[in-house]
Amino acid sequence: MNTFSLAPLIIFLPLAGLVFNGLFGRMFVDNNRESGERLTGWLASLMTVGALVISITLFISLATNGFEAWYVPIFTWIDIPSANFRVDWMMQIDTLSVTMMLVVSGIGALIHIYAIGYMKGDPDFSRFFTYLNLFIFFMLILVSGSSYLMMFVGWEGVGFCSYLLIGFWFARVDKEGKPANATAGRKAMIMNRIGDFGVLIAMFLLFWAFGTLDYKPIFDNAVELYKANHMVQFGSVSLPITTVLTAATALLLLGAAGKSAQIPLYTWLPDAMAGPTPVSALMHAATMVTAGVYLLVRSNVLFEIVRDSGALILGLISSPDLVAWTGALTAFFAGLIAFSQNDIKKVLAYSTVSQLGFMVAAAGMGAYVAAMFHLVTHAFFKALLFLGSGSVIHGMEHGHHALAHGHDDHGHDDGFDPQDMRYMGGLRHKMRTTYIVYLIGALALAGIFPLAGFWSKDEILLHAQTHQMPIFIVLALAALGTAFYVGRQLIMVFFGKPRHAAAEHAEESSPLMTRPLIVLAALTILGGLLNVPYMSAAAAERDGMHPQGFWLLLEQWGKHSLPVIELSEEGALHLPHTPVVVSPVVAGVSMLLAVGGLVLAWFVYRGRPKTWDEADRLSRTPIWWWNILPLNSFYSKGVVPLFNRFAAWLAFKFDSEFWSGFLHDRLIRDLFVSFADFSANVLDSQGVDGLVNGAGAVTRRLAGALRLTQTGYARTYALAVFLGAVGLLVFFLFSAN
Amino acid sequence: MPNAVDINWYIALSGILFVIGVLGVLLRRNAIILFMSIELMLNSANLLFVAFARHLGDLDGQVLVFFVITVAAAEVAVGLALIVAIFRSKKSINIDEINLLKG
Repeated sequence: MNTFSLAPLIIFLPLAGLVFNGLFGRMFVDNNRESGERLTGWLASLMTVGALVISITLFISLATNGFEAWYVPIFTWIDIPSANFRVDWMMQIDTLSVTMMLVVSGIGALIHIYAIGYMKGDPDFSRFFTYLNLFIFFMLILVSGSSYLMMFVGWEGVGFCSYLLIGFWFARVDKEGKPANATAGRKAMIMNRIGDFGVLIAMFLLFWAFGTLDYKPIFDNAVELYKANHMVQFGSVSLPITTVLTAATALLLLGAAGKSAQIPLYTWLPDAMAGPTPVSALMHAATMVTAGVYLLVRSNVLFEIVRDSGALILGLISSPDLVAWTGALTAFFAGLIAFSQNDIKKVLAYSTVSQLGFMVAAAGMGAYVAAMFHLVTHAFFKALLFLGSGSVIHGMEHGHHALAHGHDDHGHDDGFDPQDMRYMGGLRHKMRTTYIVYLIGALALAGIFPLAGFWSKDEILLHAQTHQMPIFIVLALAALGTAFYVGRQLIMVFFGKPRHAAAEHAEESSPLMTRPLIVLAALTILGGLLNVPYMSAAAAERDGMHPQGFWLLLEQWGKHSLPVIELSEEGALHLPHTPVVVSPVVAGVSMLLAVGGLVLAWFVYRGRPKTWDEADRLSRTPIWWWNILPLNSFYSKGVVPLFNRFAAWLAFKFDSEFWSGFLHDRLIRDLFVSFADFSANVLDSQGVDGLVNGAGAVTRRLAGALRLTQTGYARTYALAVFLGAVGLLVFFLFSAN
Repeated sequence: MPNAVDINWYIALSGILFVIGVLGVLLRRNAIILFMSIELMLNSANLLFVAFARHLGDLDGQVLVFFVITVAAAEVAVGLALIVAIFRSKKSINIDEINLLKG
């Protein structure tokens, strides 16, 4: 028995936690608040920690096993021998999936522990942890599945968890009395549905072309078929394999855009901040939203074949370039939108969209390892920032409560919002630990050397600069924007003077919440070591053993599950590759942009705003107009009315007029009514009733005739008797002979 | 028997009596007369029984007459009771007025 056979445990441990918490959690919590919370919260956390331990074991096994992918079958899910279709629930343990498992279970475990403190006293404490474990369960299915279909199971599962957790406080209403949280949950669901449609169609195409949904056979066959210029038959139409793959990859991009919140489907993610902050950190920053990036990286062979073939979508752009441009533009525009946000979590949400744009752009340019690298470091520092913001919100709420119970009454008058940065200010003195870790996270996000964000962002920028200059420019501007909104947020939250009494009374959060922050801060500082580059290309050349770096570095580690790297070494495909080196120019530019952005923010926002209701300094500049970017209202102005019109058409035309009106009323009801009519008025009243009444009428008429014989005169009867007797006499007399 | 009457005379007498009885039943309206006519018919039959019993030397006819007389007595008792009851309610024994069962 080797340690790979432990792999299913990473799925079944969270399942056990979720079953226990789902069935008995509420009982324990209701029974005894304190011990119940401890039991359910720590049980859920322990299950995730267990998954983390198994992931680490898998990591070690993989490293000692020569990085060969290992397959662990769990059971056969679908088996249709006649169609030669078979889907096993099989786990693919390779370097890519293990990286994702480590991120998911590692960040997941920290956030579980943090949430025990954050959700303290929430009436639905056990429900929260049930959902969290459910999420971990599905996320691990997503990353460990060995086929597109198993990936899609997890994909839908995490989407569903996202819906549940965004709407976790579904009963809460906003200032206008609308159920904003529940609406946000539905919005996420619907926007993701558009992306899921793309993934589904892509899977159908892949199955049609390859007859399987497993990753490995698809990737192996794809290269063979591409070399052989294979034609795929769709009935009477036959299309070259590259066309099919172009369509499939474009549809996969649609899926990734839905899940990873890229243009034009990103609008659900900022709204998703309606969920509890640990959820925002875990799902909507660190793990779930990276599923789209994972999908793109996983499908690397398909994208590189399309790039290699030069096939274009509608003759305009190849699908990998479309991916790169989608990512780059998202990174840029989402960063701009973040400028105008006042909600601490909304800033981070747009920042997440922007950073996901970086990853998607990297994947689109063929820098798959850089994309994964940024995914990992982003998971560290964005989880840190979100949890830090949760700590800030907690502190502000605490300050507000202290006011409400205190002596004065000038605090809770003005629709105070603990998430609004305009009410904050000067928190660095009140919340020392939170401030330090938040600063580390923010600087990492801005890309300051030597924090994790610097290394990963630099790698993406370097790759862009080497291979696709226009994208480099867009991404560099996005990096500048990142530094600017990060600076603005830091200044508004932690610097200056408190602008609201609640900020004056804010207090540091409990150790249960700050300790995971410290761990994440350490990871943020050290995260860059995951893929520390050589100082120059020449140094890389010198290292004869590993031209791409030390074997444990992400570049070396990741290439074992990126078949394109081997394929490009064989010359089968052309992968634009950049060795992991530091380019002084690019690193200098990116540092300059980061520091420049922060300094610019310092100049604009130093000591501003003075009071919570002062207008933002940028509100008169064109930058602010991005707030009304048409894409931002794509959902509310485009999708919703379109959907409503479609729903109205369905309701009034299809359902009411055709289905109810024609089919039910005309066809079924009228037919039935006329038959019933016939039965009632013809068959019954004339047939059955006629028979019965006829019998009655005949009887009456007969009786009317017969009763005439009953004269009532006894003598008549006597005469009848007499005549009868005579008759009998005559009969016997004459019949005797 | 030396001076026996010929059986035919008995038959004739009995027939005449029976016809008188029948006519009485059919034509008269008084209930009492009706009963008397019925008695007449019964007795015409009795006469015939007795006459044939003697003529044939068989006692069965004689025995049957006793039965008839018994039944007639019972019938008269019931019939007269009915007539008395009817008279009490209708103050009449006209048979034609007793026509409640007219169809």
